[in-house]
Amino acid sequence: AVVSTQSTGKKISKDTVSRLEEFALYLRESKKERRSYVSVVKTVNVFRDLICTSEWVTARELIKIIKSYCKYLPLSQSNETDVSNVVRRILKIIREENAGSEATSFADGLSSFFKSDMKASSIGRPDLQDNILNSIVELLSELETSKSNIINMALEHIHSNERILTFGHSNTVRDFLLHGRKARDFEVIVCESGPSLKGHKMAAELSDGGIKTTVIPDSSAFAIIHAVNKVIIGTHTIMADGALRAPNGVHQLAMAAKYFSVPVIVCAAVYKLSPTHLCSYDPDAFNKVIGPENMLNFSNEKLHSKVLISNPDFDYVPSDFIELFITNTGGHAPSYLYRIISELYHPEDYDLDNMCVEAVEDDICI
Amino acid sequence: KQWYQRRVREAKRQRKQFKVMVVDSRPDLTGVASCERLTAAGIPCSYVYINSCTYIMKKVTKVLLASDALLANGYVLGPVGTAMIGLIASNYNTPVIVCCETYKFSERVQTDSILYNELADPDSMLKTLNADDSLVAGWRESPNTRLVNLVYDTTPPALVSIVITEIAELPCTSAPVVLR
Repeated sequence: AVVSTQSTGKKISKDTVSRLEEFALYLRESKKERRSYVSVVKTVNVFRDLICTSEWVTARELIKIIKSYCKYLPLSQSNETDVSNVVRRILKIIREENAGSEATSFADGLSSFFKSDMKASSIGRPDLQDNILNSIVELLSELETSKSNIINMALEHIHSNERILTFGHSNTVRDFLLHGRKARDFEVIVCESGPSLKGHKMAAELSDGGIKTTVIPDSSAFAIIHAVNKVIIGTHTIMADGALRAPNGVHQLAMAAKYFSVPVIVCAAVYKLSPTHLCSYDPDAFNKVIGPENMLNFSNEKLHSKVLISNPDFDYVPSDFIELFITNTGGHAPSYLYRIISELYHPEDYDLDNMCVEAVEDDICI
Repeated sequence: KQWYQRRVREAKRQRKQFKVMVVDSRPDLTGVASCERLTAAGIPCSYVYINSCTYIMKKVTKVLLASDALLANGYVLGPVGTAMIGLIASNYNTPVIVCCETYKFSERVQTDSILYNELADPDSMLKTLNADDSLVAGWRESPNTRLVNLVYDTTPPALVSIVITEIAELPCTSAPVVLR
């Protein structure tokens, strides 16, 4: 199968096509839990491949190619924000390398964040490609070290004899707490987290790591939260204003924490930070409603087909409930995230479906 | 968690059109029985777990809660999870109605849920609806794991709009007045 653009007849090799299709399939099939880090690294490798093997002369063409491919990925699904974020990072790298020495500096002021020019650069493809690939290698090493950067801050945030409340399962938080355990003695209370009971997995892992763990059902969170020193949670995505798309049940936990003035700390790597805002609470736009087989038995005939059962997967947590974000770039207040977004992503890439005007006729068809 | 069924069925007899959302919590899942009774009475029902309470709360116009006691300082002692629902409802400015007969009024005072509570069977938390075992099933052997299954929790009076008793409709803080 040969992939070609309609107007210019550029071709992409069979190998790359099969790798691209494999990746698209991997994303579509990820119904089960997949680790953010694994899919993010896969994404970078697939796009690195695409950059090396597709035919392009200017950075603008390369960006068009990348965005065209993105149309075939299920990126609008709420599950895939980490993949979209990494694609945006790659696009930003391309734009920066293209701008080269004319990179926007702080002397240009805030308006430089919104400038969308892509000057025809004097750098030819071979050099540009080299620079881009070097930056991508740096991106990969940043992704690799993101977790260790986060967990190294554990000792600054956990003190001895503390009681920490956490919710459900998060790899980042688990490693954060286990790292803290090496030097401090503290207790962790884990909320079971609803129908999926991921909290049980977290509790098992933490107690295997030597931390005294208590498992409580989610309904008891309000009852015990006044006796807790802090709440440390992970999240699926961080929205642009500092709000969270977190597992179902975190919003009420954050509300309870705020009521008792218990700080809520979110541990998440910066590739989970998405430049999107909440536009609607609907399942299509923000949430994902999954099957209720863990909530109610199908064999219950009295309720079968008479009762509407909702099992949303995510929860929207407004930024007022969050005290601190611990990311691989350090600790940040929710109000600072807009700066990080402006450094990581280019405004034209916030909406990955948005192609530049000339690109509308040009399309890659598979 | 249970919702107060008799009132709801009475309203249904009066042909008022309304829907009930039953909020349930593990491990007891008493809401399933509530749902069955309400459906049998012909009231359209929805069923969610307490995690999804914030998701549905904006569609809810009133919250009806059952209670086990009303303490003299106005705190409502109810099945665990009641306080959480009261908090979410007050954040969304939804009225919270607690149903409590006067024989449940108590002269005890309590400000938090832990000081005086009951622990239910922790192994009931291990029940899962799918075939897999819970990952903490071996918790008794592990020295670091504990399961805590509280039975009650106390809801502060600020989160409750009104208490309905058989003699009157009162604010929470009138409990000591009735006790006299």
